[in-house]
Amino acid sequence: MNLPRAFNPTRKAFSEQMASRGAESDFAVFESDIGYSTYSYLFGDRFPERYFNFGIAEVSTMAAAAGMASNGRTVFVAGYGVFLTMRALEVVRSFVCYPHLNVKILSSHGGVTAAIDGVTHQATEDIAFMTTLPEMKVLCPCDTASAKAAFDLALKTPGPVFVRLMRDPLFELYPEGTSFALGGSKVVREGSDITIAAYGDMVFEAIDAADRLAARGIRAEVLDLYSIKPVDWAGITASISKTHTLLVVENHQARNGLGTYIGDALLQTGASVRYDHVGLEDRFAESGDYRGVIETYGLCATNIEAHAKKLLAANQGR
Amino acid sequence: MEETTITRIEELKDIANEVRFRIVDMVYRAQSGHCGGSLSAADIVTALYFEIMKINPAAPDWPDRDRFILSKGHACPVQYAALSLKGYFPLDELGTFRKLHSRLQGHPVAGKLPGIEVTTGSLGIGFCEGIGLGLDAKLRKQDWRVWIVLGDGELNEGAVWEAAQAGSKFHLDNVTAIVDRNRLQNDGFCDDIMPIEPVVEKFRVFGWETYEIDGHNMSEIVRTLHVARQVKGKPTCIVARTVKGKGVSFMENVRDWHGKAPNSEQYEQAVRELRGGRT
Repeated sequence: MNLPRAFNPTRKAFSEQMASRGAESDFAVFESDIGYSTYSYLFGDRFPERYFNFGIAEVSTMAAAAGMASNGRTVFVAGYGVFLTMRALEVVRSFVCYPHLNVKILSSHGGVTAAIDGVTHQATEDIAFMTTLPEMKVLCPCDTASAKAAFDLALKTPGPVFVRLMRDPLFELYPEGTSFALGGSKVVREGSDITIAAYGDMVFEAIDAADRLAARGIRAEVLDLYSIKPVDWAGITASISKTHTLLVVENHQARNGLGTYIGDALLQTGASVRYDHVGLEDRFAESGDYRGVIETYGLCATNIEAHAKKLLAANQGR
Repeated sequence: MEETTITRIEELKDIANEVRFRIVDMVYRAQSGHCGGSLSAADIVTALYFEIMKINPAAPDWPDRDRFILSKGHACPVQYAALSLKGYFPLDELGTFRKLHSRLQGHPVAGKLPGIEVTTGSLGIGFCEGIGLGLDAKLRKQDWRVWIVLGDGELNEGAVWEAAQAGSKFHLDNVTAIVDRNRLQNDGFCDDIMPIEPVVEKFRVFGWETYEIDGHNMSEIVRTLHVARQVKGKPTCIVARTVKGKGVSFMENVRDWHGKAPNSEQYEQAVRELRGGRT
């Protein structure tokens, strides 16, 4: 894979954008004592009067954000995905989404990207919870340019927005200033044999897998579904109308992730598409280095390649 | 300090009695809802809406208004009754409580009914929302206040104590929490389910200015709310000793009346006690 290495993780890029936008908009930022990990402190250093650290207390942090947002101010709540989407889930549902408030969630350590910290810190069910909530919009950028754009999209989109960010720096994919849209996607590799759709860090594994498949004469198209909800149906449809084959890859439980949603929708449309899904297979991961964990649990290019080949073999048999 | 005349206190008592009638009437007509905890808070809520809070029913979104949050959202009949009597919406609408398409949802929902500031109903959360609102008033350098009514069983919730720390940390002297200390929760007496004493002491050590009052003594309620408004540098908590089901003899101090609707016989007796039988 021929992509430049990233110096900064998406959590930092997002928070840098948050700090840089602080002068032109009067949003507040709420933190639960991991500001040096979410990099929300970058905003706090520049705008201390609008930066509130509630201590290690995600439920009251989220509910206080709802209270402030009810008075018309946009609030970004920063934290780890596991805590914000599970401990504070009820608050997000009943007191942020139900009243359609401008609370935006900066959710770091998405998927097993918190690999080294172990399962208690790996948010591998967050997309299931957040996409299930009415009113919620869900984004997952993969690099610096898309993370900065995700901040701007979260700020300008009315109502609650959840942004899944990663712990570790990976690669840079998009030139600075690339435009992104709610409900959009990007074709990052063009191909006509199979569509591999991914988001976040799995975009890079999908690109790597596409390179491996290309060496064997298989032309894979890679879609970056950075807008998870709403998802880009037009983009997906355009791609699978060429390939008739779709493999969804996500750093998340395979059950009830984006793939489940897309697969369900495809069944409803009656589209003639070979479909498969790569994700965590109904199990927890473990501590370890990032590369080691994603390879052990199948969230990697070689496993994507294997699934792709199997799907295509099934296609040829028709 | 502002004062309330003796004549006005007598008027407030009459209004509180009318609020109590509307509570029982609403729950009877819905055949569902929470009488006990609504009746115990009736004097406190009446004092706030009819004497203390800076509000204007004709302009429910007036930016400088005081904000009221019923953190014990299940007691919303008391808030709906007060709002309606205050003129936020027609009294007839109380008859739609808990019915399909009503603005009077089973627990308060913001954005439907004028006068409901935030959605509540999950215990502990309204209190946290009030902290966020108090912070926003400070940020905007506006002098409106946040008044929050909590239940005593609600104090079991950990989020209450998270928010109590935050209120103290951020010096929210524009926030006053009133604990409706009726000593009963859903499953029984607080002392049996989960003892919470010493409540006043707990809030004090969390950094709140505290008061303990008789929650059915209108002049004491009003006087203490006036005092709370003057406190600077920290939030205030008023623990109001009350009687669950207050005003309806057979509902008083009876666990079963936490969330039960009266039948026609019970309704008639309640109306006799509250209004001399006049509906």
